[in-house]
Amino acid sequence: MAKYAHPEVLVTTDWVKENLGKTGIKVVEVDVDTKQYDAGHIPGAVGLNWQTQLQDQVRRDILDKAGFEQLMSASGISPDDTVILYGDNNNWFAAYAFWLFRIYGHEDVRLMNGGRNKWLAEDDKKLTVEATATTPSRYTAKAPDLSLRARVTDVIQAVESKTHNLVDVRSPDEFTGKVLAPPGLTETAQRAGHIPGARSVPWSSAITTDGTFKPAEELADVYLSKAAVDPDRETIAYCRIGERSSHTWFVLSYLLGLQGVRNYDGSWTEYGSMVGLPIERTVEM
Amino acid sequence: MAGRAVFNNVLEMLPGIDNPTPMVRVNRLSPSSGYALYAKLEWQNPFGSVKDRVAGFMIRDLLERGQLSAGRGIVEPTSGNTGLSLALACAALGYRVRAVVPNKVPLEKKILLKLCGAELDVVSDALCPAPGASEGSINLAKTHAKAQPDRYVMPNQYENEQNVLAHYRTTGPEIWQQTDGRITHLFVSLGTCGTVTGTARFLKEQNPAVKVVAVLPPEDHDVPGLRSASQLEATKLYDPSVIDEQMEIHHDLAYERARDLATMEGLPAGPSAGLILEGARRVIERHPTGVGVMIFPDNSFKYVSNFAKHLPELVEGTSV
Repeated sequence: MAKYAHPEVLVTTDWVKENLGKTGIKVVEVDVDTKQYDAGHIPGAVGLNWQTQLQDQVRRDILDKAGFEQLMSASGISPDDTVILYGDNNNWFAAYAFWLFRIYGHEDVRLMNGGRNKWLAEDDKKLTVEATATTPSRYTAKAPDLSLRARVTDVIQAVESKTHNLVDVRSPDEFTGKVLAPPGLTETAQRAGHIPGARSVPWSSAITTDGTFKPAEELADVYLSKAAVDPDRETIAYCRIGERSSHTWFVLSYLLGLQGVRNYDGSWTEYGSMVGLPIERTVEM
Repeated sequence: MAGRAVFNNVLEMLPGIDNPTPMVRVNRLSPSSGYALYAKLEWQNPFGSVKDRVAGFMIRDLLERGQLSAGRGIVEPTSGNTGLSLALACAALGYRVRAVVPNKVPLEKKILLKLCGAELDVVSDALCPAPGASEGSINLAKTHAKAQPDRYVMPNQYENEQNVLAHYRTTGPEIWQQTDGRITHLFVSLGTCGTVTGTARFLKEQNPAVKVVAVLPPEDHDVPGLRSASQLEATKLYDPSVIDEQMEIHHDLAYERARDLATMEGLPAGPSAGLILEGARRVIERHPTGVGVMIFPDNSFKYVSNFAKHLPELVEGTSV
């Protein structure tokens, strides 16, 4: 049976339960719905808000190095800690946070396989509303590894040169251009459709019904065989604002072990709003 | 004292074989005069919907098992009706209720839940969901129950057998008695599936020839409380073996038929009833004789904003 390329970046809910509170283990919850953490979290887990804490609060950008250091320090996290990330919606924003931790060079960061839902579904796993006490640290981040991040200029170049795998992880209706975004979301684009040459592989293709990742051979079948992602080329994954594509970036980079995979966090809300860029759309508006 | 309609408390009004909800014959909207089509008006329940039966059974079960106390109330994911039934029943009994509703639930129901004393959590509707994933409202309610077990118990209408039992013990027997055992078709919509599973099980035990027809809206629908085929994954009470025919009908017809029920039959029925009527009409066109019972879950009053959206002509001329 094939194994994940980097199995060390995944932990089970049972592992988390057994290792809660141990020195050097920091559990961090990042949700799409930021009410979830307050309603109940893993005992001792720190909650990070993707809207107010993981992004620059003025311009549209990821947190800068100083901001990341400040956030980690306030959260009591040190560079040599083992950070376990989990969250709702099958770890969408937990995967986004994982990407950010990697950009700033945090060595030992892992995802709890199955995320918040799996923990919630298991009778022996506890949740609490008790506030987590943290002891501030002095965190020093590494220089950002921007090879993990695609900017719109990279995407434009990839479209023109046709040298990259472009993986659109949104829902089929967003890909075809039937809808701009899932209903009820405030972040949308000016135009609907997808980046020319992109292949549609919805993020959920990577998970099983209990929210854990599919086995390696099934992932290879989904991405490498069916979607024909060429492992010899570089890959750019995108979605709407970069969280669902973080999930796929994680799968391609760490579970399948592809080299040169980048997450395009500007994603459709940027590309679909740019003036004059080519767009493919497969349904009439 | 149901006969004189005098009760010692509101919970005594909950329905049963001795106090059934009324059945009214639908006349002008039935495609065949040889077919006796009845609407069972579940909005005549004390708290206004079919969910009163479920709330009554779930609360009684919790009380019998000693699960409720002055400090420990109920948390429940709901599209509104179950929350209202639970909130009002618990208000009468002195227990706290926290209702977790999806954002698409109409404002009327959210306000009513608060009016009836429920604490309200509103969660985002499913965003690009994974197939089979449980829903946000269910997850948040489970979180409250798990994180604060001393404050909340979650009856969970999507898994609770009391939901089925309520209909097996009350709705089914009522219909059997009210039709003198002549029922040929039961017409229902699908939500938690407690209604169809419990009622159909009872009726088929009395007469296996009773046909059960379930209507459901398509994906991306806008009929609060109902579930499309893929949304049925969220409930554990769905038992396709008791359903003879499952019919998908577009939600626009739910609103149009609900208007027809009001304007042609004098029945102020909600959109799910409209969907059920459309299903019944299609069956009657194929089977022009018989005795059919439609379970109308609730009335139109809680869906003003939905009607305004789907029948926009209703909004015309409503202001100076």
